[in-house]
Amino acid sequence: MTRRESALRIARRGAVVTGVALLGLVGIYIRALMFTPIERFQGPAQKIFYVHAPMAWAALLAFLVTGVLSLLYLIMRDRKLDLIASSSAEVGVAFSLVMLTTGPLWGKPVWGTWWSWDARLTSTLFIFLLFVGYLVLRGALHDPEVRARFSAVMGVMALALVPFIHVTVYWFRTLHPEPVLMKPERPGLPGVMLVTLLSSVAVCTVLYIGFLLLRYALTVLQDLKEEEMVDGVS
Amino acid sequence: MEYPDNGAYMVAAYVVAAVIVAGYAASLFYRLRKYVKG
Repeated sequence: MTRRESALRIARRGAVVTGVALLGLVGIYIRALMFTPIERFQGPAQKIFYVHAPMAWAALLAFLVTGVLSLLYLIMRDRKLDLIASSSAEVGVAFSLVMLTTGPLWGKPVWGTWWSWDARLTSTLFIFLLFVGYLVLRGALHDPEVRARFSAVMGVMALALVPFIHVTVYWFRTLHPEPVLMKPERPGLPGVMLVTLLSSVAVCTVLYIGFLLLRYALTVLQDLKEEEMVDGVS
Repeated sequence: MEYPDNGAYMVAAYVVAAVIVAGYAASLFYRLRKYVKG
């Protein structure tokens, strides 16, 4: 099977997985808005949580994958690792855009402010800007070898931020609440709310996989086109 | 039971999330189609 045929097969699989995940997201919207109770103190705005937290999870998962694959690329020098890492970075930027827009929309009615320059929010904005820079850097470099090496170094440096973002709510004073799921104790949410949250986390994870497959197929096709152009010139 | 009146923020957040996700999905499909045809 040629690289092009393989990319097209991945694209078809990605389209199916993305389609299923988007339908799942519609289901999450219906469940969260119509069948999950309103929290007494925060009111309807608390329901933003069912979109914001799972999207934040998917964004950090994407950045974690980029960082780990970047590290592996620097060790193994396998081009495929670089292409998957860069695909994951773009998907992560899309998810973090959702996280960074829904967060202030939740913060304003609950905290009384759109934004606070505390450790959690600032480091989240920082990782988003870092990966925007990562994508800009890739766009500016034409030599595939140099591009892969430079962006892998950036991906590894950003990797350190992912666990840091998780612990900021414990180490620093912040308006941001502590994690509901990723902590040693049992989740403090009532059952109905917990099911909605877990379902949303599952759907966002599947959506991440679908987007990653589509973006990876696109990256391979772009790579092939680039190779054709180089061959045509030489 | 009385709740704070902040439903507009919830609606705005859900709409913004849907627009970003749908927009990104559409951009992926559009770019892929361009490369598949080309």
